[in-house]
Amino acid sequence: MREVGIVGIGHTKFGRLDYDLVDIMAWSSLEALKDAGIEGGIDQVFVANMGAGAVNNQTGIASALVSRIFLEPAMAETVENGPASGASAVKCGYLAIAAGMADTVLVTGGERMRETTGWKATDFVATLTHPDAEYAYGLTLPAYGGMFTRAYMERHGLTEKHLAMIAVKAHRNAEKNPFAHIEETASIDGIWDGPHREVVNPVMADPLRLYDLCPVSDGAASVVLTAMETAGRFKKKPIRIAGIGQATDTHCVFNREDLLDLKAVRLAAERAYAMAGIGPKEISLAELHDAFLILEVAESEEVGFFPKGEAKKAIERGETEIAGRIPINTSGGLKAKGHPVGATGVSQIHEIVKQLRGEAEEGRRVKNPRYGLAVNFGGFGNNVVATILAKE
Amino acid sequence: MPTTTELYAVDRNVYAFRCPECGALYYPAPMVCRKCRNRRDPSVTVYPDFEKVPLGGPCRLLTWTRIYALPEGIDRPSLAFGVVEFTNGIRAVGVLMTEKPKTGALLDARAGLVRELVGRDCYGLQLFDPSP
Amino acid sequence: MILDELEKRLRPPARAVPSYPPKVIVLASGKPLVVRQAENDDIPILLEAIEPLVRVRKDFYDIVAARMYAELLSQYLHRTLDPYCLIGTIDGVIASIVNGRMIDEKRGMSYHTLTIHRGLRCGAHMFAAKMEHHMDVLKQEEVFIVAESYLGFKRWMIEYQLEPRPDFQHELGGVGSYALTRKLYDTYKTRLLAGTRPVPPEVLRTADTLILPDEYPQIPGFKR
Ligand SMILES: [Zn+2]
Repeated sequence: MREVGIVGIGHTKFGRLDYDLVDIMAWSSLEALKDAGIEGGIDQVFVANMGAGAVNNQTGIASALVSRIFLEPAMAETVENGPASGASAVKCGYLAIAAGMADTVLVTGGERMRETTGWKATDFVATLTHPDAEYAYGLTLPAYGGMFTRAYMERHGLTEKHLAMIAVKAHRNAEKNPFAHIEETASIDGIWDGPHREVVNPVMADPLRLYDLCPVSDGAASVVLTAMETAGRFKKKPIRIAGIGQATDTHCVFNREDLLDLKAVRLAAERAYAMAGIGPKEISLAELHDAFLILEVAESEEVGFFPKGEAKKAIERGETEIAGRIPINTSGGLKAKGHPVGATGVSQIHEIVKQLRGEAEEGRRVKNPRYGLAVNFGGFGNNVVATILAKE
Repeated sequence: MPTTTELYAVDRNVYAFRCPECGALYYPAPMVCRKCRNRRDPSVTVYPDFEKVPLGGPCRLLTWTRIYALPEGIDRPSLAFGVVEFTNGIRAVGVLMTEKPKTGALLDARAGLVRELVGRDCYGLQLFDPSP
Repeated sequence: MILDELEKRLRPPARAVPSYPPKVIVLASGKPLVVRQAENDDIPILLEAIEPLVRVRKDFYDIVAARMYAELLSQYLHRTLDPYCLIGTIDGVIASIVNGRMIDEKRGMSYHTLTIHRGLRCGAHMFAAKMEHHMDVLKQEEVFIVAESYLGFKRWMIEYQLEPRPDFQHELGGVGSYALTRKLYDTYKTRLLAGTRPVPPEVLRTADTLILPDEYPQIPGFKR
């Protein structure tokens, strides 16, 4: 199999974008082509998206994107894997090149969720759950976030303050990321210690509070992949895809033997490490899928950065901050950069490339990174993709 | 052929599903038995369906939440959910009807109307404090 | 002030109405949101702050801004009986405006909530302050409320579980009114109402001279 590298990256601002979904995706795609120093020559396009049909009343968006930016007659399809669509699409791009079906692939993840109301967006994401045993109850993903958080707190002694500290870190990183949805500072005085915490940072999915949850965002992110053997013809040095791992778990969360066991995260990471020939100690930074801040905590343990139940000590010591031992969610994460579901997995990889190239903005730039890990989490952990990128 | 009464009857129960071959119990229904690979056929044309076992009664609360941002169609300020385990090992989600839920508490699950969707009333488990 | 005869006949009598005591809310950012009652002299600059939003053709900003502009102008020119306006400022910059009026001793009429500064829940804090004004300051029994925007409807009607009053025609027209009762207010205020009094003088001073926002998240690339 051929080695695959990333030679171009592009991103829109995340937030509310009042433009056609395909226009949004076209923007990040063109930015990625520009970054790669090319205008065409794409053999295959993979589009990651979850809600075009359900939310935007648009289908066949991979073909629409190709045509919007004149990439015909490139091969094209859409990859839908819930909130893990982005990393799945990158995986498809990797496979196409490794197998020799394509030399250069454009992967674009995009979503436009704010065209509808927050209630409809919540309902749309909840369609990921079991139609009779979960969805029919009005159960939402944040509800599982809340139930998981309670179980985790009761077992491991994590407190709401730990989550508030992660929120402050996420906002601080996002403030320096020009693509981030959230531009407001969050301070521990406001969301935790403040006199009006209960109203300013209300409980939304007990015990999760408003500032423990990601916003609903529009946006797109793109990467250009190519075979490492011919990557020299591009403007920038390639960032190699060193490992990809993926695993699934039960559809109904309640049917997991241990409700706190994110087995698919652990297996996906193990598989990615095995493929890359490294372990968690070699990772310089990670983008972990923090739709609810508890997930940053739990995933950081499942991928082997900290023993189970110990992540809270790392938070207290600031080990996951930009200058810490293992910076996590340097982009602001889903929590503060935003979470256009189909775009998220590609956006995480965009961030790792930016960091490995040394192009991240001052104040959120990780020092001399070598390997970066991205974990893209679908459903409530029923389909997880881990990707490891390496600076050559 | 169902009788006319059966044809129009509203089933307000929640069911677990038992494999007719080996007796393994599932919720929600799978399409094949994990243990003996016996197939389930909801149309009852090729294979028999799994046996429906009403789900409810005493159960233990494993974790819970109260959510304040509800999906479209539920116009109320909050709703509480819990994950419970029955004595037969089956687990399910239910709507918490108790004032002060506590992890580990013993509850009583009863089927009831949990959500009204357009053209569809959803029956599910409601979780009450056990009757004295 | 000397009023001519005709003006006297058009101007409603000014009743002695208690005014809203200023309060401060520490926002998620750690910054204080100062909430105080707007004096008549504040209204021209409020109109200037509102004006750009009249042309925002999304989320019903246009209708809310246009109506609030007219309501405040009417308040300024003394054509509304017992109106009030509360403003929320961050570092003196106008962040959110709410207004309404007294119908009589017992009943209040909520008009509009217009928030310029997004992302810190200023609008929710200001709507709650408005309810506080009716209930705790004016000591009223109920407040009539309608919404023009979907967000407003969901926010107020559902978060506060307002009672439908289909037979009461709200002054803003539209569908039958909803009402906040004292019972509902007492139920929801712990979750929705915040603020500390008295405001430290140095913090209150920041809200003395109102500053126009130099950006509007609703208007990309806005230049005054
Ligand atoms: Zn069986």
